[in-house]
Parts: sequence; C-alpha cells; structure tokens
Amino acid sequence: MREALLGYALVLPALLVFGTFIFYPFLRTAWLGLYEQPLFGGDSTWVGLEQYLDEWGSEDFRNSLFVTVKFALFTVPVGISLGVLLAVAGHQRLRGIGIYRTIFSSTVATSIAVASVLFFTLFNQQLGVLTKLLHREGETPVLDDPRLAFIAVCGVTIWQNLGLSFIVISAGLQAVPDDLLEAARVDGAGAFRRFFRVTMPLLSPTLLFAVVVGSILAFQAFAQVDLLTEGGPGDRTNVLTYAIKTTALGNPPDQGAAAAYAMALFAITLLLTVVQLRFLERRVTYER
Amino acid sequence: MSGRRWYRTAGRYALLTVLALMFVFPLYMMVVNSLLPPEQLLKKANFWVSPGDALWGGYSTAWNEGHIGEYLGNSVVVTTLIVAGQVVTAVLAAYAFAFLDFPLKRTLFVVFLTTMMIPFEVVFFVNLDTITDFGDLPLVGDYIGFDTYGGLALPFLATGFGAFLVRQAFLSLPRDLRDAAALDGYGHFRFLTRVAIPLARPSIAALGLFAFFGAWNQYLWPLVASTEDHRTVQVGLGFVSEGSVDQVNVAFAALVLASIPLFVLLIVFQKQLVRGLTAGAVKG
Amino acid sequence: MRPQRWLPLVLALALVAGGCGGGDDDDDASPDGTDGTAAPGDDDAAEVDPSLCPVDALADADKPVEIEYWHAMTRANEEELIRLTDEFNASQSDVRVTLSASPSYSENLTRYTAGLSTEELPDLYQGEETNLQLLIDSQSIVPAAACIAADDYDTSGIIDRVLTRYTVEGIQYAMPFNVSNPILYYNKAAFTAAGLDPEAPPTTLEEVREASQTIVDAGVATHGISFKTDAWFTEQWMAKAGEEYVNNGNGRDARTTAVAFDNETGLELYTWLSDMQQDGLLVSTGTGDIEHYVAIPNNESAMTIDSSAALGTIFQLFDQGQYPNVDLGAAPMPGPASADGGVLVGGASNYIVNRSSDAEQAAAWKFAEFLADEQTQSEWAAATGYIPIRESSTTISPLVERWAEQPELKVAYDQLLAGADNLATAGPVLGPAGARGEGMRGAVIDAIAAMFAEGLPPEDALAQATEGSNEAIEDYNDRVG
Repeated sequence: MREALLGYALVLPALLVFGTFIFYPFLRTAWLGLYEQPLFGGDSTWVGLEQYLDEWGSEDFRNSLFVTVKFALFTVPVGISLGVLLAVAGHQRLRGIGIYRTIFSSTVATSIAVASVLFFTLFNQQLGVLTKLLHREGETPVLDDPRLAFIAVCGVTIWQNLGLSFIVISAGLQAVPDDLLEAARVDGAGAFRRFFRVTMPLLSPTLLFAVVVGSILAFQAFAQVDLLTEGGPGDRTNVLTYAIKTTALGNPPDQGAAAAYAMALFAITLLLTVVQLRFLERRVTYER
Repeated sequence: MSGRRWYRTAGRYALLTVLALMFVFPLYMMVVNSLLPPEQLLKKANFWVSPGDALWGGYSTAWNEGHIGEYLGNSVVVTTLIVAGQVVTAVLAAYAFAFLDFPLKRTLFVVFLTTMMIPFEVVFFVNLDTITDFGDLPLVGDYIGFDTYGGLALPFLATGFGAFLVRQAFLSLPRDLRDAAALDGYGHFRFLTRVAIPLARPSIAALGLFAFFGAWNQYLWPLVASTEDHRTVQVGLGFVSEGSVDQVNVAFAALVLASIPLFVLLIVFQKQLVRGLTAGAVKG
Repeated sequence: MRPQRWLPLVLALALVAGGCGGGDDDDDASPDGTDGTAAPGDDDAAEVDPSLCPVDALADADKPVEIEYWHAMTRANEEELIRLTDEFNASQSDVRVTLSASPSYSENLTRYTAGLSTEELPDLYQGEETNLQLLIDSQSIVPAAACIAADDYDTSGIIDRVLTRYTVEGIQYAMPFNVSNPILYYNKAAFTAAGLDPEAPPTTLEEVREASQTIVDAGVATHGISFKTDAWFTEQWMAKAGEEYVNNGNGRDARTTAVAFDNETGLELYTWLSDMQQDGLLVSTGTGDIEHYVAIPNNESAMTIDSSAALGTIFQLFDQGQYPNVDLGAAPMPGPASADGGVLVGGASNYIVNRSSDAEQAAAWKFAEFLADEQTQSEWAAATGYIPIRESSTTISPLVERWAEQPELKVAYDQLLAGADNLATAGPVLGPAGARGEGMRGAVIDAIAAMFAEGLPPEDALAQATEGSNEAIEDYNDRVG
C-alpha cells in the first residue's frame, strides 16, 4: 500500500506535465476542430466534422501536405546518404583524421535557427556570397524563386543535420567488426562489394533509427521555413507546421482551422512511426 | 611509400577535405563577414579579411543593441530549468516503474510512451492559451504565465523518452543489488541516491544531453510564448537579422556569438557528446 | 447599404443627409473637409456618438493614469518616439505612457489580434494603414471621431487626405501619426554617366523604361531599376491612375466584396513590370528589405522605389561617401498620371482601445492628441523622414531647418498634397488586406513573383492575383458574418 502510494507520487510530477501540456491540449485541439471560431473572440459555433472535412479538402491543405511529404522524402534520404558517406570517409585510418571527425560533427554546435539565419544572409541577392558563387546576380533571389526556394530550405536542413547524422552513423560503423571486413577482402570482395554486402547490413539498425527519427523531425520542421521563406514563395514551402502556426496565430487567428491541420500532422506522425517500423523491420539485420 | 599508395592517400585526403569544406565554408564565411564593414560586403566576394581591417564593431552592436547577451542569458535560464526538470521527473518516474509495484503500472508506462506520439507542433497553440491563463493565477502568475521563464520551461519539464531511458538503465541493474541494499537498511530514498542514480549515470547524462540540446535549440515555443523580455537566443537571431538589414556584419556577429557556447561544448566534450548522442541509436 | 451587424455603434449614429448643415457648430469636428471637395464620405457623412469616448474620465481618475502604447517603430524612429514619450510624460502629471515595441507592423497586429481573446491589449495601438477594416470589425476600438467630437478637437489643421485615409463610411476611426508614401530613389551619378539629366528623373512608367534602356546601353548599371516584390506599389500605381483598387468605393461606401484592380490599368501595370524584367531593364530583388536599394551601389540598378520613410536610412547608408559611384536623388514616384489620382497615404495611425477603463481611454486620447500635435509632428518628421500630418508643422522649427538642409525629405510631402482627394486616392479598405503570405497582398506578391521568376504571362498573373484576393475576401466576409 505504501509502495503503491510512493509509486504514484513518483510518477505524478511527470503525469501533471503530460496532462497539462500534452493530453489536455491534444484533446482540446481535436475538440476545437469541431467548432467554428468567430473572427475576433466570442462564442464558437458547433459544426461537427464539417470543418475538418472542409479544411482537409481544401487546396491549401493539400498543398501543405504535399510540401511536407516532399520535404521529408527529400531531406531524409539525402541527409542519411551524406551521413553514410561522411561516416565512411571519417572511418579511415589516416593521420589527422580526428580533425576531420571534429569538423564533420561541427554542425551539431549550430542549430536550425543559426543555420537558417546564416544561409538566409549568404543567399542575399546583393550581399550574399552564395549568389555570387552560383552566378545568380541579376536573377530572382534564390529564396524568392518558386523553383528554388524549396530546394534551398531542404539544403539548409540537410546541412544542419549533417553533424548529427555523421555522429550517429559513425557510431554504428564502429560497431562493424574489422575482421569481418578483412575476411571479405581475403575472399576477394572489392571495396564496393564489401560496403554493400558487409557494412550496410550491419549498419542497418543504425540507419533504421536515423530514418525514423529523421522523418519524424522532418515532419516537425518549422524554424527553417519561418526564417528562410515564411512559407513562400506562393506557398511552395508552406509545410504543415508553418500552416498551423500562421492559422492558429494569424491575423486574425483561426484555431478551428488550425486544429484540422494539427490533427492531420498528428495522424501522419503516428502512421509514419508505425509504417516505418513495420516495413523496415523485415529488412533490418539485427545479428551481430 | 610506393607511388600508387601515395596517390591513394592523397586522394583520400582530397575527398576528406572536399567534404570538410561543406562544413567549414559557411562557418568560415560567417566569421569573415562578421568582421567586414558593410560596404565591403557589396559586389566583390570577400573571402578574406586581414586582421588589420577587421571591424569588431559588429560584435558590440549585436551584443548591445542586438540584445544577444540578454538572449543568451534567457536561453541559459530556460535551458537550465528544462534540463533539471526533465532529469528529476524522469529519475523519479523511472524509479517507480523499475523498482516499485503498484496497480496500473503497465498502463501508466504506456501512457508515458504515448506522449512521444504527439508532436509539440500539434498542441502548442492550446498550450499558449494555457500559459496565458496561468498568468492570471494569484502569486505564481508572474512566474509561469506568458512571457516568463516558467512559461517557457513548463511544457518541457517531463518527457516520456526520459522516463523510458532511465527506466531501462535501472532495470539493467542487478536485482540482488536492491535486495542487498534492503538488507543494509537502505530505504527507497537512500537506494535511489546512493546506488541507483550513480550506477545509471551514463543514461542520466545522456538524457541531460538530449534535454540540453532540445531546450537550447528550441524555436517554435519561445517564438510564440515570449516577447523581447524573455526571448531566447534562437528566436532572437531572427530578430537581430531582421533589425540589422543594412548592417549584415551585425547579423553575422550575432550568429557567431550565438554559436560560441555550443562550439566550446563540442570541442571540450566531444567524446562524451558523441557517446551521449548515440545512446539511443546504438544499443551495445 | 447592407446592415452592419458588426458595428453596433453604427446604430448610435445619425446619418447627416446632404453633408454638413450650415448652422452646425461641430463643423470642424467632422472628419472630412468643409471646403466642398469630393472627399469620400461626404454623401453619407456620419456623426459618431461622442459618449463612446470618455474624454472626461481623466478628471476624476487617480493620477497618473498609466497606459501602454504598442508601437512598431524601430531604430532611429523608435528612439525619437521614446524621446517624444519621455517629453510627454515629463510635461504633465496626469498620464504616464509606457512604450511596448513590436519588431514590425505585422507582428504588432498579430499581438493585437491574439490579445483580443486573451485580453492582453494595449490602451493605444499603432496600426498600419491596412489594419483599418480589421480593427473596425474587431469592435475593440474607440472611433477617433468620437473623441474628436467629445473633446471639441479641431482637425481642420490636419491634411484632408490624411483624415480621408482613416475614414470609412463617414467615420474617422484612427488618429493619424506617421505618414509616408513611396518615392523614386535614383543615382544621379549613374544618370550623368549615361548622358541623362540628373535633375530630370522619369515621371511616367514609359520614361522609366527609356531611362533604364539608356542606362543599360551605356553600361552604367546592369539594370535600370531594382524592384522589390511588394503589393503596396501596385496599390499606389492604381491610385495614381485614379482608379479604385477594390470595389464599393475602395470599401469605403460599403464592405469590400471583390478587388477592382483586374482591369485595363492593372493589366498595363503587370505587363510593364513583366516586359521590363524580360528585357533585362528591371532586376527583381524579391521580398527582401534592402536588396532593392543595395543594388544601386552594387551597380545592378540606378533607380528603385521605396517608402519615403526609408529615406533617412538610405541616404545615411549610401550618400556619405562610402560609395563613390553613388550620388543619391529622390523624386516623386513615377507612374500613371491622372488628375483624379495621387499616391496613397502610407504609414500608420493610432487606435484607442475600448477594452481599457474610461480613464485609460481618455489618457490614450491625450497621448494620441499629443502625437498629432503641430510641434510634435514637426519634431517627429525632422527626426524620422516621415511627413508631417499638418501643413503648419512644415513652417516651424525644427522641420523648416531640416527640410532646408535635406530637400529630399520634402518630396513625399509635396507628392501627397499634389494628389486628388477622392475614393481612389483614399486607398483600399478591407479586412484581409494581408501581407506577404496572406490575404490580398499575399496573392499579389505571389503573382508578381511567379511572373518574375517563372515567366508567368502578365494576364495570368493578374488573374491569379485577382482570384487569390477574392478568395481571401470571401473567406473573411463569411467569417465576419
């Protein structure tokens, strides 16, 4: 009895935080979606599922969903591939490799906000070095060009994540036993073959982790859009999180519509976790 | 060294250097541009600033008029609150889940894990209303309302992930240890502080590290839940860059200043950092 | 006129048929001019219930009454506002003003609309000209006209066009404060080098094109003009052409239900922009805040258009000798010319918030009055580059000296006075006026961006802007009921 009481007392602080800032607002958000909010405060009107269906059917929502999915499909694979490349390159036994490894980890010391503001300025049409290097003087600025802004946002995201990808994948690589690779070499397997037949399978649990975490983070990306493009040009970078923020805290705010967007983001996150785990589990080699 | 091997080694260094440039170049430009007078940023690509021409004024402008100093201070306070909160709530809950028996334990543990499936981006605007309402509470309102340190930290004082991580560490402790401690007359509190926490230190450190990075780099919540007075450095950067449009060097200086704390940490604690960050990735 | 459910205070209004009666003592308090010009609102000039503004509440209140003013002034402008506020606080003991700064107009508005539900509102709010309809619809402001009537305040010294800007259906809602409008910035050195007369900058769009061609041909700059993707300029051009931007008399006779810019003039403007860019005469600098004028010292252009409010900053940056290739000049905004046209009144004005206590509302009015005062306006304009809202402010110190020293500051003022005072030049009033990424302006910005970056034909861009704007208007009107 005393043990039970102690148990509850110990989980209580965390539960209070969860209740107040996760479960309650989650239910409240779902609930808000059933009401249409008047423009400037005042009583809301019950509309049932109508608002959800309207919003989910709207062109704006579909665009946001499309942009978000595209963003994840772009940043996660490219980011992880580069991470593998860096990890393999940094895994070599060479003099001074420690310096390179520190450099490859360096973006961990930045943040997505730092990276965004940095590249925002480097992309500046008149003052930015990148405009000069890309020979885009006199052309529409990269972040204002509907064809390029999305790629730029992805690029900045990938860049900022490189350090973490490198660290995580390097750690996975260190777990690949050297004698196994050596044995493969003795058997006459080339570098390419050794990589795909030995290293990759052994690396797959790490990569699974990177893909799952990377995708979930990709769907939650916000700062880079806020700082680089504000969702523009022409909504080409208006990811779900940004749409939620601008709807919920817009001029004037619309929490009902924002709730519909938010619930979609929740559903995707949930689905993603389940699907990725199910799908990838089968292909992952766990034995060591 | 044979010629062929020499080529190969050179090729390896060349590849490493090209890859390193990807990281170094933007960061290098950040530093160079922070030292250039605004008019030198025009037209010519300036890849170098001679120490004699370096203009340090951007740093003082960013620190004073740009309030980067205050923003960094705010970040330190909020991050400290969050890290301390997450570690304490996780250790307490993990202890209950690992060493105690009580009805609904499994259910409660699942509830903890469920929290990981609800992204903060889904619930933040209701939380904003909550925090604003907290501001009207008697006595505590001034500490946990909108635009307060408490308001910025409260939603993140506990995570399901943290409780999970520490619980795993506690569970991996030998069962006999608890029994032996009980024989020695250790109560729960003494067992927790003298035995369990010291032995689970790597996991707790990893949690602290995760909490630190999460809190320090946070953007959305401090953006919406604070104004000038409690703005954190991540959010502040955007405002500095917006406010210094004609002095790009100031924006770059602000970036350098904002990055220094983490760079120092990275260099000093690289090993521990790598171990901590990979704690979740590689079970070993 | 449709019933205005959203404005219960309208019920308290008596519609004064046929303008102002001869024996009306409150003539001066009426928001429109009394000189018989075709000022908007004359037909349905309304009188507001003075009791909406409790100007006398200050007398019985515990003093000093503390009020908060939310503004969006930054840097030099903010410094001057702080100075003026300190001066006001020191000059009397009834009212204590505390300033609270937002980094931009748009964030100030976000803060305000969020405050409507959380009840965290200021007592006085500085709103950009586009906030007008939104604030009316929010029912959270005291119409300035009520205070003007209640306090027997004389508005006759304020420039009519400025009052017209903030008048909807005959009621003046805001107290004017900081006024600006767009002007042409051009590099006289580049003009001279290209063989153009540096004292005769272009006044029409055709002349801009010709000058640009000459500059590019002479190799003085890579383009003639750098252009910021900003919906404001197209609004200005329509007004200069004497045409309404949205329907229902620019939203001032009745609520706006659709845009009106999808006409021949609109198409001409879009076509001009598109052709200029395609022919390499115009460089699009995107939505950035500085690129369009940094392009001038960069020799990427020799002209640009920007708000007169930026004049101080721009001259300080580019005309202090750091850039030997730049000798900056300022001129009226080139564009369509019409006797019925004129540039719009830009900038922001002050709104008294009705959620505050009576004493606070009265105090807010006192401060709004101070900011619109003759001497304040002279100092404000001299320090910031905004144009004064009173002609008399231009004849007193320090503005007289300041203008003598830098005549460019006067360009926007002359340009404003030169314009006609009618519905077209009053400017559009609508709830979803928007900004980048939202509402009407968002749709226009996206359309122009697509035209520049993707080569979208001007007629398609115009159609896209129209459709996007009308959708936003429809959504808004649906929600406002």
